[in-house]
Amino acid sequence: MLPAECSRRLVAELRDALDSCAERQRQLEQSLRVSRRLLRVWEPAETPAPEPTPGPEINEEAPSSACPPSPQDLKELELLTQALEKAVRVRKGLSKAGEGVKVPSLKSGSASTATKASAPPSTSRCTGSRAPETKPPRGVHHPWVPTKDLPGRRLLLVGDGAHMGQGAGANKTEAGLRDQQIVPQAASQVPEAFTLKDKGALLRLPEAFRKAASRNARLWAQLSSMQTGDSADAAAATATATAKTQFLQKMQTAAGLPGSMLSTAEVGRLQKACSMLRLRMREELTADPKDWMQEYRSLLTLEGLQALAGQCLHRLQELRSAVVEQPQGLWPEGPPRAALPCGGGADPVWSPQLLLYSSTQELQTLAALRLRVAMLDQQVHLEKVLMAELLPLLREQEPLGRPWLALCRAAHCLLCEGGQHFLTVLQDEPADRLSPP
Amino acid sequence: MGRRRRRRPDPADAARALPEAIAALSRTLPAAPSPETFRRAKFDRPEAAPALWRLLFRVLSPLPADGALASLALEAQARWVKSALRSQGYPRRALVQLPDEGSQGARELLLALAWLLARGPLPERLLTQSHVRLGDEMPVCECEALASPGLPAPGVEAEGCVDIRHVQWLTGKLRLRWRNLMAGQQEQCALLGKIHSYTRGCHSDRSLGHLSVPETELLRDPEGGRQLLQLLEKENARLEAALEWRRRELVFWQWMDTVLDACSPEDSPPTFLPRIPEPEAGVAGLLVRELQALQEELREAAEARRAAWQAAAGGHGPEWRAARRALQAAVAQDLAALQRSWEQDQGRARPHGPHRLSKKN
Repeated sequence: MLPAECSRRLVAELRDALDSCAERQRQLEQSLRVSRRLLRVWEPAETPAPEPTPGPEINEEAPSSACPPSPQDLKELELLTQALEKAVRVRKGLSKAGEGVKVPSLKSGSASTATKASAPPSTSRCTGSRAPETKPPRGVHHPWVPTKDLPGRRLLLVGDGAHMGQGAGANKTEAGLRDQQIVPQAASQVPEAFTLKDKGALLRLPEAFRKAASRNARLWAQLSSMQTGDSADAAAATATATAKTQFLQKMQTAAGLPGSMLSTAEVGRLQKACSMLRLRMREELTADPKDWMQEYRSLLTLEGLQALAGQCLHRLQELRSAVVEQPQGLWPEGPPRAALPCGGGADPVWSPQLLLYSSTQELQTLAALRLRVAMLDQQVHLEKVLMAELLPLLREQEPLGRPWLALCRAAHCLLCEGGQHFLTVLQDEPADRLSPP
Repeated sequence: MGRRRRRRPDPADAARALPEAIAALSRTLPAAPSPETFRRAKFDRPEAAPALWRLLFRVLSPLPADGALASLALEAQARWVKSALRSQGYPRRALVQLPDEGSQGARELLLALAWLLARGPLPERLLTQSHVRLGDEMPVCECEALASPGLPAPGVEAEGCVDIRHVQWLTGKLRLRWRNLMAGQQEQCALLGKIHSYTRGCHSDRSLGHLSVPETELLRDPEGGRQLLQLLEKENARLEAALEWRRRELVFWQWMDTVLDACSPEDSPPTFLPRIPEPEAGVAGLLVRELQALQEELREAAEARRAAWQAAAGGHGPEWRAARRALQAAVAQDLAALQRSWEQDQGRARPHGPHRLSKKN
């Protein structure tokens, strides 16, 4: 059994590591959920209510009670569908020439009212549907039923009359209303099921969103240029900077505590120093000097590195002792682990940056490598902790005793084999112990 | 913006400038109290203190406020704020001496906020942190990997002794979790690739070429899209407030000078300094051991080479002296460059931060 303090620290570190892994997993699962849902057939936003709720656009006619469409209506719609399909074929020919399909954009104002799979009819739609040869109906309020222009879409009337295509270009408001009523009663298998695979290229972002996004980008650019100081009012900028510096100095001189403290940034810097020194040392030790000049240079470098390491150590110990000498009792336990600003806080203002990739394979490799780096980082940290905790224990305990052997074996497994392989420890009877016959 | 006319400063303007600056600050910071609270804080009114504690907590916490952090009691938040400020090097002791229950010290808290604002571009940093992500983002640096997520769990159970096998079991569990994570990540990348290909040609911005998951999601789910739009518009409002704050902040600093003067001077440091041992396994403790080990390794290697060198010292020609000096200079330069690489922030040289993924043909 490990001593209490040691146990507590080890378990705490491992729990931290497990928690951070769990957090990543949680975020990943959320992203996976969203992505999977996008690639499936898109359902209506809510499950169809027993009664349709007509949006505010539908004002004149009260929704009639659910009744099957009259045969006359159905016939009209059928004719309309055929006309539309013809138009589709024509347009397809045109669009192949690079025109691109005009897809009606989602009006964000109506987004909240568009509850069902069928769109509330509007006058523009009606007029649009009257002239199917010229243009596809505009102003359709549902993004995933973007146009009627797609070939092969069975819009209407698959014979049994119970189906009514959504927004099948009803030229009457009532027919449109009946759309709304009938579709929820229709089979859940909506003929125009929208999948990203088939119809993704037709989507368009809503106008309001595009405006907000471009305004957002513009404001960030303004903020960024103000940061870098190429604004028109240079005099005011310098005056502000001076005022700030003076304020900070006043705070410092009126202070009761020394300024230099063992801050997180300082520790980060020294950690970086340590790893860079170590890397450099490794380079020097593995290099093979070819002549005496290189040998001498390598010697000087090693001695220089040793001096630098000593300096860093000295600084670290100095700062730590300063911490200890403060009335520590007044301050709460240890600084919280704040996230280091990315890039050392080089550029706090967001700016749009792109990362281009050309194949899924590339993206997967990139992501896998990043994850591997994070994992190795965590592992390195844990090994440092394990070394710090277990090695002193090994030194303290009596060697070759039973508990010592068990600890040795475990420590070897954890530190040298990454926790994957276990040694077998055999007790070997030395020959002279055996009593001669 | 056109050239600004130089007008004679109107006293009415001057009187308005400070409230407007404070109002801009209040609009750009997340969860900021009303401008009136700032005024009250100057006069150390007790009702201003809790709001300022909460503001400082929100501003200093590394992650945007999620449920767990936001629900901490005021007392816990106050303690955390003190600790965070100290670890950043906050110089005034008066802050420490404030009672945890959070009803006093509004003026000191105001000074702390001003200190944070003066040290760096705080509103911009906060805005970047909470920026609405419209694209599928992936960081291109490893800074995130080094930072530990969130606060240490407040309820650290006092465990008894554990067996080493429990430790081994925990490491095995960790390994398994990583493996699951990696598998999931591969799937996510494949799905992203598909979504990007299927929506090619949809984006109004030609350089992007296709939609991202948030954008596609907003098309699929209009309600979610509306919420996204609202967030975007809120961010736009905060950005405008930040721009206004930057234009007007000079008058705020002049005001803060008066606030600082209104404070009583701090007492000299107490003569009795209790010595409290630092836990050896803290991050700094680990680093000390590492540096010590490194120094030892270097010493051994250097001594061995020095000995070998001196043994073979005889066989060098007369050009030895000049060559030696040149080598010394070269090595000194080399090491100075190495030292600079961790002393200064080399952040600008390498790309940092999340980048938006974009699939090209």
